[in-house]
Amino acid sequence: MFATSTQVKHWIFSSPDELHKCRELANSKFSESHGGAQSHFLQVNEERMLCRHFENVMKEFCVKFQPPMPRNTIATSFAYFKRFFLHNSVMNYHPKHIMLTAVYLACKTEEFNISVAQYVANLPGKREKAADLVLSNELLLMGKLNYQLTVHHPWRPLEGFLIDMKTRLDISDKTVEGFRKGAEDFLDGSLLSEVSLLFPPSHIALAAVVYSAQKQGIQLTSYISDILLASADDAQKGKVLGAVKEVIAVVGNVDRLQRDKVKQIEKKLEICRNQNNNPESSAFKKRKDRELKDDDRRREQKYARQAAQEKREQAQVCGIVDVSK
Amino acid sequence: MDQYTILGRIGEGAHGIVFKARHIETGKTVALKKIQLKKIEDGIPNTALREIKALQQIEDHENVISLRELFPHGMGFVLAFDFMPSDLTTLIRDTQHPLMESQAKSYMIMILKGVGYMHNHGIMHRDLKPANLLVSYTGLLKIADFGLARVFSNDSDRNYSHQVATRWYRAPELLYGARKYDEGVDLWAIGCIFGELLNISPLFPGDNDIEQLCCVLRVFGTPNEDVWPGVTELPDYNKISFQEQVPIPLQEVVPNATPAAVLLLQSFLRYPSKQRISAEQALMHFYFFTEPLPAHRSELPRVRHDRNLPNLLDHNSDFGIDRPLADTLVKPTSLPIK
Repeated sequence: MFATSTQVKHWIFSSPDELHKCRELANSKFSESHGGAQSHFLQVNEERMLCRHFENVMKEFCVKFQPPMPRNTIATSFAYFKRFFLHNSVMNYHPKHIMLTAVYLACKTEEFNISVAQYVANLPGKREKAADLVLSNELLLMGKLNYQLTVHHPWRPLEGFLIDMKTRLDISDKTVEGFRKGAEDFLDGSLLSEVSLLFPPSHIALAAVVYSAQKQGIQLTSYISDILLASADDAQKGKVLGAVKEVIAVVGNVDRLQRDKVKQIEKKLEICRNQNNNPESSAFKKRKDRELKDDDRRREQKYARQAAQEKREQAQVCGIVDVSK
Repeated sequence: MDQYTILGRIGEGAHGIVFKARHIETGKTVALKKIQLKKIEDGIPNTALREIKALQQIEDHENVISLRELFPHGMGFVLAFDFMPSDLTTLIRDTQHPLMESQAKSYMIMILKGVGYMHNHGIMHRDLKPANLLVSYTGLLKIADFGLARVFSNDSDRNYSHQVATRWYRAPELLYGARKYDEGVDLWAIGCIFGELLNISPLFPGDNDIEQLCCVLRVFGTPNEDVWPGVTELPDYNKISFQEQVPIPLQEVVPNATPAAVLLLQSFLRYPSKQRISAEQALMHFYFFTEPLPAHRSELPRVRHDRNLPNLLDHNSDFGIDRPLADTLVKPTSLPIK
């Protein structure tokens, strides 16, 4: 249920300002832990621009994906990516890696079952390396999302509104079906905006229908206030109508990215990124090696302990006394 | 992980080991399910993700195991659950203290409440069986092991795997290889569990998939389009043919059961999934309102505390009325001083 979901509790924010504050905090945390703000570090707005660039890349990747990826899987990928970079700096984790991991994790949580081999077959370049990268970041991503994996999307409420309008609104079913395409396009486009972090899916879905109807010269204001929210008071009605307007504004205001600027930021990132998390760097390799060795050592110690224990037990059962002790 | 002391091993799952442990700060006993990712080809196993998603969606119900916490550990992560000392299999097999009908009724109610809640939240468990129905120190039954649980969508083209559910509790449509099914598979399983509570032995103990179907068919007769519309369309229907059999009265299968019990059992065990009684409806069945009435929680078998474990601050969960009052109170001196 959406009302009791982790999405409501932790991942819907009251204003774009609040989102900006989260990102600012992530940015300053990175600077602090890397010897204070330096001129070659990325600014918050630069980080944001890079994320938006990778959201575009992600969309293209998802749309071209074979076998075709269901809408919910795509939308969940976006949610994971956006949530991750609310609290983490781009300089710490490269958005390209997080993007690939987010899509992979979403495939699983949305039950779009594909193997890692099938997944990386959709990528150009070295597949083995890509598989490693995705698998090694999966746990990190899940942890940073606080293991909150369920994401609700506007497509289901959209179906609900369409059915409701067909039953209760005095217009033909054909007219209502005519809203569908426009509304779905609106929702597809909304992925590149921040609405999913600001509004519940039902409001986004309602905005999509209102927007699509408007384009055909039909106003749905009376549907909302007289039918949908007939029992609500004026304040509540005003709130929903306001939210609808705001969603449409936010989705409509997604500006184009300037390619040359993105290129510049990407170059800058290569210099300031945390090399510990860069699989190409020697620092990363050293760290991974150490982790693997630690893990092996723990395992060996455990086996040694178990073996010793078994030996003692056997000795007890057989009544043999070990003189060496 | 530093917050827990491992007390022992409980069991081993497909992707990790389950440990019994004590939360150092609160003294609570927990079950830790370790999911190891090393050497797993496709990364975090789907079963773990499903379990997490399902439990987060259910959040809080008396009869569903609650996920206390989730934390990273080594090259994997750990799920921490409340520790449950027993399960329904153990209680059914306990020949020293056979379950009375009133007690069986009480367990059935708890199962139905938990499953009803799950189904209302769009989750099917797909692996209900006595071993997954855990019992707390105070006799509370909780549904566990959501590794096969799936959030079901209304979108009807969705295909599911039919290799789910432990064989004895597997619904006939799964045995025929159905890829489209619904929460009815859980209701069939509940029927099998109910039958097991009545008989103190499994209802359909097939040794393999074919024999499993045989067990079911022997009781309910060979299905045809009249009794089960759509059965001939199922993927494996034509792969196996059985000798024509006529259904036998269910009373013969559960000879000691009361007529009310047989009626309820019959309403779970129907071929067409849609005809099975829903968990919520079943709770209103007159079986639960006829003598003997369901046993009160205090009349359910008690599971002894592990003698090795001190009974630390478990007061809030231990409120059985047969305990002396003084024992159930928290002594002011035993509270940590803030």
